[in-house]
Amino acid sequence: MSLSTAIAVGAGRLTHWGLHGVLRRNASQLPGRVALALDRNLIADLSHKLGRGAIVVCGTNGKTTTNNVLAAAIESCHQRVLCNRAGANMAAGVASALLPGSSADWAVIEADELSTVHILPGLRPRYMVLLNLFRDQLDRAGEIDHVQDTIAAALASSPNTVLVANGDDPLCMGVALRARKSGTRVLTFGIGEDLDLPADRVPEARFCQACGAELEYEYRAYAQMGKFSCPKCDFCRPQLDFCATGVRVTREGVEFDVVHDGKRSHISAGFGGVYMVYNLLAAFAAASLAGVGAGSFQGAIDDYNPRNGRLQHFVVDGREVILNLAKNPTGFNQNLSLLLADERPKALYFAINDNFNDGKDISWIWDVDFERLAGQAELTAICGGTRAGDVQVRMKYAGIEADIAPLVEGALAQAASLPKDRPLYVLTNYSALWPAKATLERVGVSND
Amino acid sequence: MTRHGKRSLRIAHLYPELLNLYGDSGNILVLRKRLEWRGIIPEVVEVHVDDRPSFADVDLVFIGGGSDREQKIVCDKLLAERAELKAFVEDGGALAAVCGGYQLLGESYLMGDEKVPGLSLVDLYTDRGDPRLISNIVVESRICEQPIVGYENHGGRTHLGPDVEPLGKVVYGHGNDGVSGFEGCLYHNVVGTYVHGPLFPKNPGVVDYLIARAMERKYGIDELEPLDDAVELSANKAMYDRLMAGEVEEQ
Repeated sequence: MSLSTAIAVGAGRLTHWGLHGVLRRNASQLPGRVALALDRNLIADLSHKLGRGAIVVCGTNGKTTTNNVLAAAIESCHQRVLCNRAGANMAAGVASALLPGSSADWAVIEADELSTVHILPGLRPRYMVLLNLFRDQLDRAGEIDHVQDTIAAALASSPNTVLVANGDDPLCMGVALRARKSGTRVLTFGIGEDLDLPADRVPEARFCQACGAELEYEYRAYAQMGKFSCPKCDFCRPQLDFCATGVRVTREGVEFDVVHDGKRSHISAGFGGVYMVYNLLAAFAAASLAGVGAGSFQGAIDDYNPRNGRLQHFVVDGREVILNLAKNPTGFNQNLSLLLADERPKALYFAINDNFNDGKDISWIWDVDFERLAGQAELTAICGGTRAGDVQVRMKYAGIEADIAPLVEGALAQAASLPKDRPLYVLTNYSALWPAKATLERVGVSND
Repeated sequence: MTRHGKRSLRIAHLYPELLNLYGDSGNILVLRKRLEWRGIIPEVVEVHVDDRPSFADVDLVFIGGGSDREQKIVCDKLLAERAELKAFVEDGGALAAVCGGYQLLGESYLMGDEKVPGLSLVDLYTDRGDPRLISNIVVESRICEQPIVGYENHGGRTHLGPDVEPLGKVVYGHGNDGVSGFEGCLYHNVVGTYVHGPLFPKNPGVVDYLIARAMERKYGIDELEPLDDAVELSANKAMYDRLMAGEVEEQ
């Protein structure tokens, strides 16, 4: 370690101690920011302490869950793992995660799509998992083309990184197409069968990434994920290296087999919908590349209880409350599928903020199929967040009468007059999640 | 085109599969509902990439925004329909164009450094500037009582010809070019604007203006049955108040 790195690491650790040890504050960003300011090559310098290497998890939706399951699976094999568990996924958050200790076996790192270009050149991970790409935060991220170019450039800067990409997503395969040109090795995962699910909206990626013709699908799992092919050129869903079959998605969770190298492994989890099949499949692929056996992986899922506001269950005053993050149309539509699978009459609270980390532009709420809720009997809908008014207008045009309660406390108060057997679903975007979670933890009992 | 004596409006939604960047489907939904609530039948026709549409029996045209790549595909296709669209506009047809669609109305726009010919329906052109203009936006316009509230996100700078009226005055945000203090265009019954969010839901005055122009042209009626817009206007006002109070940080 060079002197400047040593000083930077020392300063970062001191910041961490001050924030976390003394002030009891969140220390997921600032220590890395301080250390990066002192040593711009910090990520590269810190990566040398990793005995086995790094794995980066990237994609619009599901990064935190996939990354944390993967880290837990590798840890369960008695490996020392550094991980940005709280989801601080820009360069400063990654540097913070790499600061502790003098050595580790693996770093398992969630990376923001646009930050990959600041993370990969230094970290030089062995694998980068690309989960999916959806339209998200247009005001910050710009159009998807730009996000794809950025990830491809990041991969070009780290030529030995193997891309583990979602083969069912034409947009991920668009990145793979670009990355292969600069010599990146690509492995793919996906679902190898028709799940016979009702088709939802495909907001993007209807067109071939190579030639621009409209893509055709043999089947789709959700959004643009499926067995696609271009009628005019050879761009298509590839032969899958990690292929999920026997997929079952129910209210209770998901289960499936993964076929890899002729070997079949069974995976099951007590949470999530079809998107979770992809998250777990991606985590399994990366874990097995890192040498984790199927049994250890299943064990890690069984023990997985992140309490990070992702599908977290509470009981508040005798009522079931389900909290989940929903920050873009695809995530929201997947959430609507989950709650529609619950046949009980229910109350819904949708909280949308427009802070920086949410995206300032919330026009995407019009790409969510709220119309699917219109037929629900005895539905109570409540809108919240700084953009509660916008959500209320969206509800009105979906045929749903909704009230406004800026905070989750108000939604709980409204739900209090309903029969106790009606659950309250709380769906929020990013910055609305933490206050809702804190409130629910304070007034309710966690029930996972 | 009346069914059982009921009135109807035929709406051409151009290239929804390509021009749908900023919740534009919301504009069509709002248009459709506000017609239905007034007992006017909305006949929405989606025009797809390989269609050769006729605008002869169309009452209202909507063009949304897309990514650069998609916008280019659209423009190549649309140029073939230029004469039809021009006749429609000159005959007083109602047309709303948002973001990329707004740029398409002019003589030309820049894609990267390439100058791409537009539809030349309105005397305006678009070049580029740095930085991209990304912000919430409020515009005061003569076409509606309430301020128009929404979001803008454009690298293009749009310049209006001398005989083209702007949609309105920028009260918050950047507008056409970030310097003139004006936003959008009004020409005959064409409304072009960078305001999305989407445009119609929180700005019922804008959508009703277009509906009224179309009803006037088709049926000679420009008085629309009023609707209860409490929810829409309260969302509009909530955002207006936050912006004017400086409570919203922009990038």
